Amino acid sequence: MVSNADSGPLLAVQSVSKAYGSVQALREISAEFFSGEVHAVLGENGAGKSTLMGMIGGFVVPDNGVLVFDGSELPVGKPFEVRGTGIRMVHQHFMLVPQLTVRENFALAQLEGGVRRLDADRLAQDAVEIGQKLGWEVDLDARAGELQVGAQQRVEILKALAGEARVLILDEPTAVLSPAEVDELFGVLRALTSQGVAVLLIAHKLSEVMAVADRVTVLRRGEFVASCLIGETNRDQLAEWMVGEMPEPPEIRDREFGEVVVRGEGIRAKDDRGVEVVCGIDLEVRAGEILGVGGVDGNGQVELAEVLAGVRMFSGQLEGIDEVGYIPQDRQSDGLALGMSIEENMLLGSMPKEVFSGIFVLPGKVRNRAHQLIEEFQIKFGSAGDSAGSLSGGNQQKIVAARTLSQKPRVVVAVNPTRGLDLKATDYVHSRLLQAADEGAAVFLFSTDLDELAALADRTVYMDRGRFTEEFLVGSK
Amino acid sequence: MKVLIRYLVLFAGLVFVVALTLAAFGLDIVQSMNYLWRGAAGDSVAIGRTLVRATPLTLAGLGIVVAWRAGMYNIGGEGQYVLGGIGGAIVAKLLIGIAPGVLSILIIFAGAGFGALLGAFAGWLQVKRGVQVVISTILMNFLALLLLEWSLRGPLQESKGQTFVSESLPNVVMLMRPDRQSDLHVGVFVALLAVIAVWVLLKFTPAGFRLRVVGESASAARASKIDVGKTQIRAMALSGGLCGLAGVIDYVGLTGRLADGFAQNWGFIAIPVALLGGLNPWGTLVSATYFGGLFAGSEVLKRFTPIGNSLVPAVQGLAVLAFVGLNYWLNKRSEAKNGSD
Repeated sequence: MVSNADSGPLLAVQSVSKAYGSVQALREISAEFFSGEVHAVLGENGAGKSTLMGMIGGFVVPDNGVLVFDGSELPVGKPFEVRGTGIRMVHQHFMLVPQLTVRENFALAQLEGGVRRLDADRLAQDAVEIGQKLGWEVDLDARAGELQVGAQQRVEILKALAGEARVLILDEPTAVLSPAEVDELFGVLRALTSQGVAVLLIAHKLSEVMAVADRVTVLRRGEFVASCLIGETNRDQLAEWMVGEMPEPPEIRDREFGEVVVRGEGIRAKDDRGVEVVCGIDLEVRAGEILGVGGVDGNGQVELAEVLAGVRMFSGQLEGIDEVGYIPQDRQSDGLALGMSIEENMLLGSMPKEVFSGIFVLPGKVRNRAHQLIEEFQIKFGSAGDSAGSLSGGNQQKIVAARTLSQKPRVVVAVNPTRGLDLKATDYVHSRLLQAADEGAAVFLFSTDLDELAALADRTVYMDRGRFTEEFLVGSK
Repeated sequence: MKVLIRYLVLFAGLVFVVALTLAAFGLDIVQSMNYLWRGAAGDSVAIGRTLVRATPLTLAGLGIVVAWRAGMYNIGGEGQYVLGGIGGAIVAKLLIGIAPGVLSILIIFAGAGFGALLGAFAGWLQVKRGVQVVISTILMNFLALLLLEWSLRGPLQESKGQTFVSESLPNVVMLMRPDRQSDLHVGVFVALLAVIAVWVLLKFTPAGFRLRVVGESASAARASKIDVGKTQIRAMALSGGLCGLAGVIDYVGLTGRLADGFAQNWGFIAIPVALLGGLNPWGTLVSATYFGGLFAGSEVLKRFTPIGNSLVPAVQGLAVLAFVGLNYWLNKRSEAKNGSD
């Protein structure tokens, strides 16, 4: 650790506040960031992490407070000037032009105005050299949009480092990566700090923060909670700082399984482009059993889940999927119709018979059903007529979970059901899935989060290039 | 209550836009507003005129509502309207001589059916062949207009063969007119019934629910086991059917025959009408009546002033822009009040 803590902070945030309408996103936050350190900014969804980083990056104008970088005040609300000072940001949603090659994306970031010949090689050179130094291989001629997510992120990081980068801000960089890719990324971050770069890492996974951070600052609901060196704290304390209280760990279950509910043999399916991505899968799941399906994103999990949910064509044998409750991966695009009301979204998914039996959908029945679910699942909202898009991510997912599990389906298929949710909402979804299994459902849990699989699954298989690769019982890891 | 205020603000805005347009044409605002009012609502004849103009706008506007709510951007109202007229004229030619009441009904069904087929075909092209409805329906408008011209010089031409129009329908086949002084015909009630039917369909039936889900989020619909393609094709069929109905109701209620100028852009104007109506059946009825009134009023206005027919399109263009602007402003205000994330 090459911490320069003695020589004063490279970047200091001094009592900044920001309100959006009546919502106070940040209140009087101060923090100091030192060169040569990985500084994790930790907090649940809505804690204000992204707002704070956006402020440093010049994208968000603070209502009051100042930012001091290298001894002088940082311009506010001017992302280009901030970038020029060496503060670089890697956004959670990549800012690559998918149609351009990697080289052209590098060049784009360095492009200046004027009508001159475009020398992409020259403009991209710095990023390419940094990549070589870090030992990252990137295919310069590949189109950015065709790269795997992990590779795209590398391109994004190299793009950010080109020129003279002094502060690198990463917004939840591990959300899309496999465990091996996470390790590799952390290695690179350490290499960068040894060169004196200050790395700011937005995170909400404790294990990752413990693994890579030198220093940590915790925010909760827009307020500063604590800041210290990582050696001065521990996991439990961080969790407590984040949520205020520790969620109960799920109990290890010891249950008998029932008869086989879902049995499949030689399942094959193609993705939307017509490429076969599920390449011969055999599976068997019994009543009351949770089968975890892990693996890196993009190995056919989503397609297999869609086959099980009955919304994708497949070949091969598959029995027992007549009555499936489906919690799709992307609640905003697949799970909900965001423009429609909360009430109406309660009807999506399985189209419950008690509402859809007749020629007419009666508003009274719709309302009753919605209120029953809202009460049972403790969904917080303004009015049931509001659009689903007005809800927070956690409450959106509660709608999907509520309407799916309340039908007591014999089979549940859930794909990354807690992605992007805070600890409490995660805990909630987990307990509902366990409850469904306890009540005799056969549950498929697709997740890229190993902790989640370890906590919930009775059995876990991994998907790699369309096939299951290994299988082990919970705990045998 | 909030909604009511919103509509009042919008209505005031639209009146203001009309006044602005009149001023831009260099007219005396008070006097020409008076002409407009007399032409649109001054007496029972004027009201009849307004309602007759509003009828095709309502029906075709509903067609646009149904398609757009399903995420199918049907621009082909004009072509479907024309095909509705052609379908009606074909049936009239083939079956003339049967009981007039039955013939009228068959004509109307044929018109709606022809429109529905054209709409469904455009829907099918998008779902099965990847041809965007926006593109295909624009092209089909040209095809339908050319088909009309051709058929008026061929199979549908009146028997004397002197002019390029179809045979006039006998009065007994035409829709009932309660008052001979006025153009008002019972097709107005067809439009009204259609508003109710579309409203019930969209709001209170499983099919309408599916249609709206498909329009809001095709991926969410798919994840809910809704057959997105089938729903879209059906929506286009219904949309084309309503636009065809607009055409055939004008044929059997108002014109009694087809001519090259049969369509008069009703199918195109239906799009801003539906948009101003918030893609909602009742809103479409209101906005169709408003524009029907504007058309009726400007017919009187142009007798007394040199403005001609340019008023309505100018007002319409400005109204759409004003609507978008007002909506933006109202949304922004309510957002600022509620706060955002």
